Amino acid sequence: MKRTLTYLLASLCVLGAEAWERKGVTFSGSIQSDMLVPRRDSGTGAEKTGSFLTNTYADLLIQSQYIDAGARLEFLSYPLPGFEKDFEGWGVPHFWMKGNIGKAELTVGTFYEQFGSGFILRTYEERALGIDNALLGGRVVVKPVKGVTLKALSGVQRRYWEWNEALISGADAEIGFDEFFPALQKNGTDITLGGSWVNKYEKSDEKVYLSPTYRLRLPKFVNAWDVRASFGRGPWNVMGEYAQKSDDPSFANGYIYRKGSAAMLSGSYSGKGLSVLLQAKRSENMSFKSTSDVSKAIGISSAINHLPAFTQDQTYALAAIYPYATQLADGEWAYQAEVGYNFKRKTPLGGRYGMNVKANLSYVRAIDRQFYDGDDLVQQTNGYTSKFFKWGDDTYYRSIDITLSRKLSKAFKLNLMYVNQRYNQSVVEGHGGIVHTNIFIADGKYQFSPKVTLRGELQYLRTKEDQGDWAYGLLELSLVPHWMITVSDMWNCGETKLHYYQGLVTYNVGQHRIQAGYGRTRAGLNCSGGVCRMVPAYTGWTLSYNFNF
Amino acid sequence: MLKQYTYYILAFACLLLAGCDRIAEDERLIYEPIVMEDDQDDIPEEGKPEQTKRVVLLEDFTGQRCTNCPKATDVIEQLQEVCGSALVAVGIHGGPLAFAGNARTVGLKIDIGDEYYTHWNLEYQPVGLVNRHAPLSYSEWIDAVKEELAKPAPLRLKGTAVLEGNVIAISIDAQGTNGTVDGKLQVWLLEDGIKALQLMPDNKPADQEYIHNHVLRTAVNGTWGEDFSIKEGETVQRTMALDLEPKWNREQLSIVAFVYNDQGVQQAAKTKVEIIE
Repeated sequence: MKRTLTYLLASLCVLGAEAWERKGVTFSGSIQSDMLVPRRDSGTGAEKTGSFLTNTYADLLIQSQYIDAGARLEFLSYPLPGFEKDFEGWGVPHFWMKGNIGKAELTVGTFYEQFGSGFILRTYEERALGIDNALLGGRVVVKPVKGVTLKALSGVQRRYWEWNEALISGADAEIGFDEFFPALQKNGTDITLGGSWVNKYEKSDEKVYLSPTYRLRLPKFVNAWDVRASFGRGPWNVMGEYAQKSDDPSFANGYIYRKGSAAMLSGSYSGKGLSVLLQAKRSENMSFKSTSDVSKAIGISSAINHLPAFTQDQTYALAAIYPYATQLADGEWAYQAEVGYNFKRKTPLGGRYGMNVKANLSYVRAIDRQFYDGDDLVQQTNGYTSKFFKWGDDTYYRSIDITLSRKLSKAFKLNLMYVNQRYNQSVVEGHGGIVHTNIFIADGKYQFSPKVTLRGELQYLRTKEDQGDWAYGLLELSLVPHWMITVSDMWNCGETKLHYYQGLVTYNVGQHRIQAGYGRTRAGLNCSGGVCRMVPAYTGWTLSYNFNF
Repeated sequence: MLKQYTYYILAFACLLLAGCDRIAEDERLIYEPIVMEDDQDDIPEEGKPEQTKRVVLLEDFTGQRCTNCPKATDVIEQLQEVCGSALVAVGIHGGPLAFAGNARTVGLKIDIGDEYYTHWNLEYQPVGLVNRHAPLSYSEWIDAVKEELAKPAPLRLKGTAVLEGNVIAISIDAQGTNGTVDGKLQVWLLEDGIKALQLMPDNKPADQEYIHNHVLRTAVNGTWGEDFSIKEGETVQRTMALDLEPKWNREQLSIVAFVYNDQGVQQAAKTKVEIIE
């Protein structure tokens, strides 16, 4: 990995020198550095895991008419708490060059890509979770005629500071019919069809034994394909997608030889103050990793695909204590319904400034699985039979969220939220049982003057299970344009009686943002889009620096 | 133009076909048994001491709150059935999923379990060390045990343990059989047949009466053992004593001894604690 730094700098210098001579070359980039000076905290059990920890990234992008190039330096030798040992390191894991020639675009180096909703391929970066599953190889994107996009790619996937051995190849085609039929465009109708294919080739040395006498023969190739269609007219939109994956016995699925599949149907309406979203998804056996090495495949690294969670990504602290993680290997039926309505200003319900009401219902349930051997998955078999529309016994997650946003005066805005959750801790975290919560949130913002705003949050989580009740309070003073001061406390008033207090001062100037603070962070799941990482408790001084140029 | 697209589609179809790799149901297993030599030791080369087979140490980092740990125990039982005394398994209750117990529920976590878990940089459970090489998931243990069994052993190790009154008298006898070994001698006390809570896999209810075997109770000669060195042909004897704790079931105790160094565990032995009334 370190060698790539030299290669990269050399190629960037050459490119940069040439580029300077040309007109229209732009340089841009960013720096993000999150730092922690941890302290031992006997109250929370936080350990002093080092004297100074940091996750630091520096991106550089050079753009010109025909060629773009970029690189990222990452310094993660002493990372923030909660990441695997293999996450540690530093170097330039990203380096790429993209050429735009006529209707084609060619990328060489590392790149991110997503086919459709990501059911069979999604490579992306999510720094908070330590996810970066970029591919290293080549990609070509061709737009032969307007409305048609063809993609082909091949490469190996990043796992922290190494590249997994499996070769990932794929192709995707998408056709927008409204480009071909002017009549469709005329009446505002969009019809899009797409299809993708992904192949994993892994000549694995991994020996997996069913017993001390028999070893499993593992497939060298795993194929996945996906078809999708969307139809939109005016405020209405309907989208459907189906994906299938060939036999892929893995540690995650208990080494069964069974096809995986994912199906999704989504419909929405958005117009005249009303928005409605209805979604349903069924998936089974869709864990798709770029390594069969168990010690590397455990956790959230090496994922080739991504299945979105049909649950709310919660931003309020207490609503985020029990987040849901998509069950890729076991499968799930997931449903989501969301209705939003904007009551107009100067109406009886809207009042003087208007009001927005939003309700969201998420429900995730096990799929039907009839194991060949009673209650157990048996390796080397097809695992189980499953009726497509039938549910399994367990509810994995259920959430009802109701949000009300209203401006009460020219200076004061209030958000109220109620969340009711049923969280299957055994399924998501591997321990505990069912946790039922009722969460009440009030978030008010008062603008004293154009430059001074005070925001406050009060939250309460009521539950008889796990660690019992929680309370949370926050005050945030914004002094435009430079300063923001935040103090908060999350108090477990149920079982542990612990306070997780935090104080932060943020300073913005130009393209720089600096944030310094001190506080405690609780142990728990940190999730985004249904992918979660368990983070241990930590206490200490924090400093963050962001710079964009 | 149409012809060109036909070629693309054909090439795509060929790739898809080339990538098909469905393994028929009757071809999924490869017969590859663990070959256990007979119990007799190898015939020595001329001038060399009588050679001995390697006994493999499997340290299973487990926990009562670890839902997949019973699956790892199943693998150990399979291995023990085939390997017999050539495999010594130890259940180390340490790490985040180990349970220390409370007034109502028996816990098997021990402080040195946590110490070992941290020392070996372990990050998930169940996880195991086979002869103290890289951490492995339980699905990889059989392969690793096979590899270790095939290696020659540089020494012979034998232990005896006798409980008289409330003291266990332990004697470890070693004989160098191949080259010189420098390292540490570690002696542990294990207990079988402990009935205690265990979380179970696949969303099954917790088992309050799960039988935990080969549970590490304590390290007899310190967390990391004592210095040990032996030359080819040499014999070394170490003796030590351990006070019996009331919570241990005297009928179910065993002693495990092993010699390890930077190259891993060189030899291991297990013996049941004999009770003298």
